[in-house]
Amino acid sequence: MNETAAASAAEGAPRGRGSDADPALVAEGVRRSYGDVVALDGVDLRVETGEVFGLIGPNGAGKTTLVRALTGTTDAEGDLRVFGVSPREVDPQRVGLLPQSFDPPERLTAAELVDYYGGLYDDARDVGGVLRDVGMADDADAWYETLSGGQQRRTCVATAIVNDPDLLFLDEPTTGIDPAGRRSIHRLIERLADGGTTVFLTSHAMDEVERLADRVALLRDGAVVAVGPPDELIAEHGGAPRLDVTLDGTADEAVVGRVEAGLAGDAAVESTRDGLRVRGVRPEAIGSAVDALDTAGVAFESLAWSEPSLEDVYLRLTGEEYSPRERAVRDEEAISNEEAAAAPDGGATGDDPDGGDR
Amino acid sequence: MTRVGRVRTEAAAASRSFLRRRTAVFFTFFFPVILVVIFGALVRTQPTGGGLFAEPAGYYIPGYLAVVVLFTPLSRVGSEIARHRDGGRFEKLATTPISRGEWLLAHTLVNVAIIGAASLLIFGLVLAVTDAEPVVSPALAVLPVFVAVGVALFCGLGAVLGALTDSQDGVIAASNTVALPLLFLSETFVSPELLPAWFRPAVAASPLTYFARGTRAIVHDPGPWVGDLSVLAALAVAFLAVGAYAVPRTD
Repeated sequence: MNETAAASAAEGAPRGRGSDADPALVAEGVRRSYGDVVALDGVDLRVETGEVFGLIGPNGAGKTTLVRALTGTTDAEGDLRVFGVSPREVDPQRVGLLPQSFDPPERLTAAELVDYYGGLYDDARDVGGVLRDVGMADDADAWYETLSGGQQRRTCVATAIVNDPDLLFLDEPTTGIDPAGRRSIHRLIERLADGGTTVFLTSHAMDEVERLADRVALLRDGAVVAVGPPDELIAEHGGAPRLDVTLDGTADEAVVGRVEAGLAGDAAVESTRDGLRVRGVRPEAIGSAVDALDTAGVAFESLAWSEPSLEDVYLRLTGEEYSPRERAVRDEEAISNEEAAAAPDGGATGDDPDGGDR
Repeated sequence: MTRVGRVRTEAAAASRSFLRRRTAVFFTFFFPVILVVIFGALVRTQPTGGGLFAEPAGYYIPGYLAVVVLFTPLSRVGSEIARHRDGGRFEKLATTPISRGEWLLAHTLVNVAIIGAASLLIFGLVLAVTDAEPVVSPALAVLPVFVAVGVALFCGLGAVLGALTDSQDGVIAASNTVALPLLFLSETFVSPELLPAWFRPAVAASPLTYFARGTRAIVHDPGPWVGDLSVLAALAVAFLAVGAYAVPRTD
């Protein structure tokens, strides 16, 4: 709870307001450790006022710790500033937070919860309007516990915007929300951004971040490994467009070679579990690729062309890049190991190549 | 929103949330009732004989009241803190204007109201099922003050226990461990004469002793109570301050 701001409010002093000329967020050399585990390892970030800033990264990368550091709910080394002042000195009226793991007080209705959190601020929005914004107006009088997971999350989002914040932290706001609910949250974020609200968004939904964020930072092992607008990150790290060819079975190396020989330019072909993947195929070259397949005598079931996305950037920069061929080999090895382990003589040790949290 | 407004908002939400948990409400009131029924009506006091309940029935009124004044705030505030921590509520509250002191004050007020009602129930039940005949005097008006101050004191201690333990189970275990010896070693159900002489000075170290002495001086054995109330109030302020400091604001 914000002791300083509460004291300031009691004194009637405008401390913690910061300046609109200041960036919304600045983090320089931010470090945080839990025992021997380094959660944040020298994070540098700057978020301008009015930006929608996306933070992505694998589980355990430090996203939530960074949100906590920026909201002053964890102690961290380094320089942290929110609207030019320390996170714990900023006027709480200007900040809204949806924690990643949040379970509000029991046995209150959606409307009562929003009213409760609104009642803690000097100035709060109309409860009905906030619930309409998150698509919960029809369920305003339902107890929180009786709502679906998606409705609960939307209610939690409502509690984060009830004070009409200038800076909104949303830590995985759409987790557990169905597609319709996600869209309503997306529209809400877009409306807030249009209205000048700075949004700091963490998410595992790459399409969501790619769609909403003006800039994205990718956090890995507690450090920012890339930051920039989504299209720039994709252009720099996303790789080439690809054409996925579904075959009736897998393609052997001879087929891969024949198709590759028929392609122009630097397109590369690899085998996948479902068929083939041709990388580096521009939209205008799709016809040529089909001709190459035809020439190689490959009968395909379907074709799917796609541009690189933020997900490709994520997979590449986090070292979790999905390689269909390697995956297929690993799967086969895993099956072999399982069969060997199940054999009467006990078989091999059966190390799981896919083990661990990927 | 003023400080009063924030406390009112927090207290309103907390009381609404509690009153809608029917089992919690039922057992909050059933626990002291069953205690009075067992010890007051079934075991009964034996003023002319020996044993634990050798004093007149009125002697034990502070003890019955102490059960709710001690146990209920310890477990309720401690559990509330554990629930808030587990649910990420403190993380969110830390970004709102409410301070830790205001939060604890709001929950203390809720507990004062709940335990005040429970105390009234106990008082009526003691009169109904035991031979207790409380002294009727103007000082009886101070009895609710003792209850309120005692509740505030143990709300502060409950906040400390809630902050120190890492789960709701831990809070319950810790509050029972703290409350049980306090209940029986604070001149409530066990008179000082039943304790070893070398231990009697230690009774003064229990905050509950001042509640028991003061309330007994009002309802059973007329005597000075201002000193006990002063000590209890000073301790309540100290425990609330420490408790407010202990309420988590970070992970």
